[in-house]
Amino acid sequence: MTSLITLCGKELRDLSCNRSVRLLIAFLAVVVVLSVLVAAADFRTKTADYTSYLAALKASGGAVNAPPPDLFPLQMLRAGMEYLEIVGSLFAVILGYGLIAKEKNNGTLELLFTRPLGRHSFAAGKILAALVIWTAVTAALFAVITATLLIAGNAPLTGTDFIRLIIAAAHTTIYLTLWSLAALALAALTRSPATGLVLALVLWLVVVLVIPQIGDTMDPDNQIPGGLFASLQIDKAHEHAVMANFTGYETSRDLIEQTSLTKQYERPLFAWLGIKDQYNQQSPAFVWAGTFNHTLWLLAGFAAAAAAALLAGTRDKLLRKA
Amino acid sequence: MSPWAATVGHELRSAGRERLPQLLLMIFIGMSAASAFIGSAAKATVTEVYNSAAGQGLTNAANPFGNVPPLYYARNTVIYILLIGALLAIVIGVQSAMRDRRARTIDLVLTRCLSPAGYLGAKMTGIGLGLLAVLGASALISVLCISAVTGSIPAPDQLLRLLALFGVAWLFLLFFVALGTLSGLHASSYTTALLVPIVIWSVIIFVLPLLGTAAHPVSLLNPVTPPAAPQTGIFALTRSLTGPLSLGEQFKHVAAILLKDPQATGTMTGGITVILVFLAAGISAVVLTGRTSMRKELHD
Repeated sequence: MTSLITLCGKELRDLSCNRSVRLLIAFLAVVVVLSVLVAAADFRTKTADYTSYLAALKASGGAVNAPPPDLFPLQMLRAGMEYLEIVGSLFAVILGYGLIAKEKNNGTLELLFTRPLGRHSFAAGKILAALVIWTAVTAALFAVITATLLIAGNAPLTGTDFIRLIIAAAHTTIYLTLWSLAALALAALTRSPATGLVLALVLWLVVVLVIPQIGDTMDPDNQIPGGLFASLQIDKAHEHAVMANFTGYETSRDLIEQTSLTKQYERPLFAWLGIKDQYNQQSPAFVWAGTFNHTLWLLAGFAAAAAAALLAGTRDKLLRKA
Repeated sequence: MSPWAATVGHELRSAGRERLPQLLLMIFIGMSAASAFIGSAAKATVTEVYNSAAGQGLTNAANPFGNVPPLYYARNTVIYILLIGALLAIVIGVQSAMRDRRARTIDLVLTRCLSPAGYLGAKMTGIGLGLLAVLGASALISVLCISAVTGSIPAPDQLLRLLALFGVAWLFLLFFVALGTLSGLHASSYTTALLVPIVIWSVIIFVLPLLGTAAHPVSLLNPVTPPAAPQTGIFALTRSLTGPLSLGEQFKHVAAILLKDPQATGTMTGGITVILVFLAAGISAVVLTGRTSMRKELHD
């Protein structure tokens, strides 16, 4: 246990001194903050457009039917969350790879294993460090996001909103750590860590971009700019009635999407933040009932990645390949 | 055989031996082939959805997919070029530059009567030819899959448009090869060499379009042309600044016009100019790399 804590502490000190890691995390923070600022600017533009439309309508003596744009502050986080989903996971891969690569490249592996370490202490120390670092980074990122929402977005947040943000941050920590552990396992298993990195990038490409892209483009409502049902002037209630006849297709599409852990992260995240309309302003119990299975799949993915990292990061495997 | 031709040949052979680009290549070609079938499944479902809605009297609008051109089925390929193709190009570029530095063969090569610019130009030519072969194979697979889905071979005009798409894709991807090569030539380690161009790629594909149009990153992966971007307020300014730098969006716009997307408006001139400017800048930066940089030691 002591060696595990020592290894984890050493890893955390190394990571906090690593200029590349600091730059990547700063870049992630800048991108996420920018996305919130853009969403706030977009909302202001829509409000201004609505106000001028209203003024023109009143001047011409017309009746006002269209409601003003609604402000749901957490919905402004959509682009930011998508950046964490895509760019964040990419950086998590890099961080996870770095945990093994630096030991292999610096030749410190042999030295480390001359110490009386438990069979899985080395890997467990790295896993714990990855979890701690992503918990800290996600907490900092969500604090920055919240501050941006409050200050620049001028968005009022309620107590429930803060709870939703904490739940979203917890999902993000699991998701990002999962990617670091998967990359760690691949870097440990391959002869050259660089090969492990490229394999992890291929895995990232397929899971984060290709599978969700296939699912998205198979969605009938994504086939027309602005949405198929909007272009056919069909409201939500009738849309659901029509789509009830296509359950086979929708189930297949859903299954394709669900094979991606990114979607297992995105679905509860978007539900908790109210980005998905069906969950917006709903009670936490309602959101949990609709998304707990995705959270469980995400946790299963995390457990699998942790197990892979634990089993791959043993003395036998690492020194055999070094 | 001249040193230039020998270098081109060597580059082609070496790239063919690398396993990791081969893995990405398999995914790219596989997805190009799947593209037509994904489009076909989506189109069939949309038509059935429309028929169902029209049958229930819910809409009087015309079927938006009533007269879809065969080139519609190649729309997803554009996204795979942006995602898989660009990453493949980066990996090829990085590995090409790293191969010489790791094996320290560059010291030997530079003792021959070949200037660094000539050597790097020959390497880029070799990779360019290899990439052309890959895209040629993808184009052929696309034509075969579209023919299988539609039940007929696309008309000559449509074949030309498809070829033009892969031609523009070649120019687009060559920029990412140049970016990867440049990074491979200058980076102090393999990790940095791979990471820097990938971060630049993520900025070009996902960040710049958001700043100009407020488009969500995931929506950029959908081949459907997005609704017109806001033309007022801050976005009018940011769009004018980031629009020309959004290489991925420029490529998507040119591709949409080539594939006769009914929602695509404007001309291809601006988009092609931007792609060519990026390519010229990338290749110039590669061939202007000095002897000292090329011989720099690696740290992993």
